[in-house]
Amino acid sequence: MSMDIILAQTVVNGLMVGMIYVLMAIGFTMVFGIMRIVNFAHGEFYMVGAFLFAILYGSNGMPFAVSVLLAIGATALLGLLMERIVFRRFRGNELNGMIASVGVALILQNSALLLWGSSARTVPPVLSGVLSVGGIVFPWSRLVVIIGAIVAVVLLNLLIGHTRIGRAMRAVAQDAEIAQVQGIRVDVIFPAAFVLGVSLAAFAGVLMAPVLSVSPFIGLAPTLKAFVIVVIGGLGSVPGAVVGGLLIGLIESFAGTFVSASLSEILQFLVVIGVVLLRPQGLLGRKEREA
Amino acid sequence: MNPSTTKPMSYVAVAVAVFLAVLLPWFAPNQFYIHLATVGCINLMLVLGLAIIARAGQLSMGHGGFALVGGYVSALLSMKGWPPLLTLFIAGLTAAVIAAALGWIILRLRGVYFVLVAFAFSQIVVLLALDMSSITGGANGLVGVPPISIFGCVLRAKPQFYPFALACALTTLLLTWLLYRSPLGTMMAATAENQRLTESSGIDTHRVQVIAFTIGSGIAGFAGALSTHYLRFISPDSYTFWESVSYLTMLVVGGRDGVLGPVVGVLVLTPLPELLRSTEGLQHIIYGTMLVLCLMFVPNGLASLVQTWRSRQRVARTSAAVVAEEVT
Repeated sequence: MSMDIILAQTVVNGLMVGMIYVLMAIGFTMVFGIMRIVNFAHGEFYMVGAFLFAILYGSNGMPFAVSVLLAIGATALLGLLMERIVFRRFRGNELNGMIASVGVALILQNSALLLWGSSARTVPPVLSGVLSVGGIVFPWSRLVVIIGAIVAVVLLNLLIGHTRIGRAMRAVAQDAEIAQVQGIRVDVIFPAAFVLGVSLAAFAGVLMAPVLSVSPFIGLAPTLKAFVIVVIGGLGSVPGAVVGGLLIGLIESFAGTFVSASLSEILQFLVVIGVVLLRPQGLLGRKEREA
Repeated sequence: MNPSTTKPMSYVAVAVAVFLAVLLPWFAPNQFYIHLATVGCINLMLVLGLAIIARAGQLSMGHGGFALVGGYVSALLSMKGWPPLLTLFIAGLTAAVIAAALGWIILRLRGVYFVLVAFAFSQIVVLLALDMSSITGGANGLVGVPPISIFGCVLRAKPQFYPFALACALTTLLLTWLLYRSPLGTMMAATAENQRLTESSGIDTHRVQVIAFTIGSGIAGFAGALSTHYLRFISPDSYTFWESVSYLTMLVVGGRDGVLGPVVGVLVLTPLPELLRSTEGLQHIIYGTMLVLCLMFVPNGLASLVQTWRSRQRVARTSAAVVAEEVT
């Protein structure tokens, strides 16, 4: 393989992984920005989404679109349930909310283990074949992930930027109390934001299911990535999550191809330490308001 | 165990509990119970380390990472021929130094960032242990770690190791209790209560939190090393994120204030994994459920129930005395 091809493949892989991280990090950072809850269970919703898709599409052969919608819908419902039962009580209580989310992560991961077993499942690719542009080939299975994620991010941006509920969410993120005074129904916004965040995680899981294998333990790694990305990009900042996600994806892909996978992890950690030292509010984050 | 409520009765209770713990090898039906008690002692040290960090208002999700560092340091040095009794302390010191450096950098930020970076750190430790296989043995870990020997007595079997583990745990418990009563302990509690106000009273809260993180992680390093010499084995799987979570569960279920909470948490939750060993998933679900339920209904932990009951009794007694006085 010539250098061009390796480079192109590395970029495509980096973008694919990066876009998945972007989806994860946006959901995570939204839930934090609006509910002030660090959701350690975020990756478990990714896992549930991936599992449901694997069962519906891979094992039962249901049509692709139906499987995607059902998988995301069911995960969103699970998210709504968790918000109702658990997270609602810890709104604004950062420390206890975080600990509770760890409990939820334990419950979800191990319920999946009991229900579906520990063996990894593979899902057939949605599109096979390759796209060749100027002699360089890109596998469609990976392009699908990138395109799907970009579509989701653009739709989300429209939702947050140009709709009533999006405006309300931004207002609540800035100051929940003042937003309530202005007549925004905070009781609706909180679950809506949580379900939206969870759905993004589930969608990321659905997209990744055909590329990776699915098991109950796949949730922790993307959660860790979401953490790293939001620290780099700025906690609560959606553009920061996009920049941070792509940065981490590309670092991972390049370091993984040319040096070693664990070096890339260490490099990412050093980037985090560097950001914390030099620009504590994150690359695109605002300074924490003095409460 | 709030110092102000410490009464002669509690001293008697503590003495009885210690006495029973010391006597355990004589009335334990079999070695398994001694093993369980040893694991409990090690868990207690880890949870106390976490409690000290929590005392200063922080939460460490990377606690297992420091235990892993300690375990590897002590295992590697003792396999080179260093006396394990010495390497235990070197392990604790190494973990403390790393925590001090990391804490100095990340504790300048508000709570959530600290949690995220500490969590990321523990994952890096696991990766390093996996990756540097020429030193750490990679995924297979290190087998045949030398046992601890004191004054020529080799602590190889369970009944011999237990007294040493108990002594370590009780010493940690005593030191933690003393720490809580010291001026530094007061500063830690004040920092947790209201960081801004404490800062404005002229206390360097950043320093207080770094010290708490250093002490707590140092204890984790020591306990990790202790466990490694007990099991004579360490691998990257010995302390994963889920181990950190189980210490956190013990702390929250037991209670975050005082030293009684960690003891209660460890007593309640250490036997659970052993009872449910056949269904590992179920055990974690129970841990998770207990964690969530405790946060919802007893946010101050099971130990707080004892305190509530005690103060209620005191109120009842005083009102009874008042009534008696009025009658006479």
